[in-house]
Order: sequence, then C-alpha cells, then structure tokens
Amino acid sequence: MSMNPDPDNFEGLRSLLALKRHEQPPPGYFNSFAREVRVRIQAGERAADSGFFARLLDLQGFWASFEAKPILAGAGGVAACAFLLVGIIYSTEKMDAQPQALVPPVADANLGLGSRHVPRSSVFEVPALASFQLNNNLANFASPSSFLPVQPVNFVMPEN
Amino acid sequence: MRSGFVASLPMIMAEPVSRKALKAVDKSAPIAASQPVPETELVKHARKGDLEAYDELVRRYQERIYATIYHMTSNHEDANDLAQESFIKAFHALKSFKGGSSFYTWVYRIAVNKTINFLKQRKNRVQMSLDDLDFNAEHDPDLVALISEKTPRREINLAELQEKLNEAMQKLSESHRLVVTLHDVQGLSHEEIAKIMDCNIGTVRSRLFYARQQMQAYLSDYLK
Repeated sequence: MSMNPDPDNFEGLRSLLALKRHEQPPPGYFNSFAREVRVRIQAGERAADSGFFARLLDLQGFWASFEAKPILAGAGGVAACAFLLVGIIYSTEKMDAQPQALVPPVADANLGLGSRHVPRSSVFEVPALASFQLNNNLANFASPSSFLPVQPVNFVMPEN
Repeated sequence: MRSGFVASLPMIMAEPVSRKALKAVDKSAPIAASQPVPETELVKHARKGDLEAYDELVRRYQERIYATIYHMTSNHEDANDLAQESFIKAFHALKSFKGGSSFYTWVYRIAVNKTINFLKQRKNRVQMSLDDLDFNAEHDPDLVALISEKTPRREINLAELQEKLNEAMQKLSESHRLVVTLHDVQGLSHEEIAKIMDCNIGTVRSRLFYARQQMQAYLSDYLK
C-alpha cells in the first residue's frame, strides 16, 4: 500500500471531511439563537430611535470609534483647532468694533476752579479716538497694548 | 401567521357558531399547524417588520448558516457572532430583497460575504475554538474505516484528527475553503454554490479540484 494517496482520487479525503459534519455547537445552542437575533434587532431599532445625539452621548461607543478609526481622532483635532482659530478671529473683530461704542465722547470739561481764566483745554484731555488704531496683526497680538484701548491722557495744570 | 390564526380563534368561538362551522375550524386547525408556512409568505411578513415571521426564517436556516461560518473560521465564538450579524443584516436589508433567488440563497450570500470580509481582516491570526464531536462520530462508517488498522496513523484519535483537519482547512484560501465547506461538508450542488459565490459552475469545479488536491497533500499522513 502506498503512503501517498492518488492525487486525483479524493475518496479518502471525502471520508475524512465527514468528520466535520459531526462537529456540533453546545447542546441547546440553537434553542436561543433566534431569540438572541431578535433581541439584537430590537436593541438596534431602539438605538436608531434615540437619535444621533443620544448615540453621541454613549461615550463608550464614541471613544471606541476613535480607536477603530484613528483618522477620526485626527479629524476631530483639526476641527477643534479650526473652531479655536475662528473664535479668536471673531473676538478680535468684535474688539475692533467695540472701542468707539464703549468710550463716550469726551467734551471739554471745566472743573470750575474760580472765576479765573481757564484755558480752553480741559484738565483731562483725551485725544481723538480716531488716532487709536487697533492692530489686527497677529504678530502684535501677544502684546496687550495692541488690542486694549489704551488712551494717553495729557494732564494740564491750571494757571495761577 | 400562526399568531394571527390564534388571535382570530376566540372571536370565532365567541360567536354562536353552528356545529358545521365548528367542525370546519377543528378541521382547519391541524392542517394549519402541520403545514409549514411558505418561505415567500414569511419573507413578505418579515419585510413589514413582523419579527415573529423573521424568527421562523432564522430557525429554518440557523444551523446551516452557523455551520458554514464555523467551518470557514474553525472558531465557535466567531461563528456565533457572524451568524447573528448575518441574520441582523439580512433583516435590515429585506426591503432590497427582490426575490430573484430564494431567501435561503440570499441570506447564505450575506453570511459568506460577511465571513470572507472577517477572514481578510483576521488575516493569518487563526485561533481555533472547535466544537465538540457528537456521539455518532465514533460510529460513522467513513470514519471507522479511516481509523481502522489499515490506516497508517491508526493510533490517532478522533479529536486529534479533527484538529489536523481544521488546520488543513485553515491553510486553504477563503474561496477554496468555502467551496470545500459548501460541497464536501454541507453537500450543496455545484449550481447552488455558483449562485452563492456569484461565479460560474466551471469556476466552482476547478476551485474544488484544486482545494482537494491541497487538502490531500496536507493530510497525506492521515489518508490511506
């Protein structure tokens, strides 16, 4: 008898493969199979009904999706940076508009120091706001003076 | 289906029915219980979201679907997950089921595609979790002949043979393993396999021949 089987005669192999038909899952496995499928279908329907935000709040699934697809984490990071940048630019523009509205027009002030001649100029002279230029240049943004409405005040002493 | 009949029964019984009508109900009951509901009817109801009808479809095909996936993966836990997911996917995709093939062929195709995708992701990380052999294995004439005194490796027991057989199966490519599983283990015809794999019969035959040759080479020590 040859040890090597005939390459075109598969009867022995087919007999051996019969063993696969005797492999069976644990007893009673199929009794609960359909019920488990049904439970999973119903659970899926409930999850779908609860909407997108409810699923988003499911933090476990949320982080799991990041683990499964690292590109999502990258995209999330880029989105957060973009959001921050837009916020900075928006707030800068808002400050650009604010100084004119916030600082009231300064009228010449006469503090009423006797009947003596008081010069036309006030005690606290505020230069015209038009001279205040807000610099949007991000290079100068780090300096507080670049965006804070710092107004130089000329203090003039009344004449005796 | 069945629940509909049961639900209508009290209403019929509540009416002052004639003896003739009651006989008609009595006669129809065993017929309705004994005759299996046609697959097309079950599919029609399941498409409308009737989970009772879908349960019946699952019960009809669960063993064959599970077995196919199990023989492809050699892992009970993976087979359990994939079989359940296949039926869940089929339920959600029922609306797209045109009825061009039988539900059985259609769900088989879903299960096979899902399994092949899973195996591609798993690549070569094979971790076998084999099901136990049933009691009849020891008395199977094919196997008795195989492990008789004439077998070169006659000292081998069935559990070891099972392990070697599964290892050899896992060495085949997915498509070759599928053909062997569907034909030699599950007994499907070439035509049915061609429909499930969406290829022609010639391809099925050639794949089967090549897969058997490979298996024969891997298991030469255990074959006469």
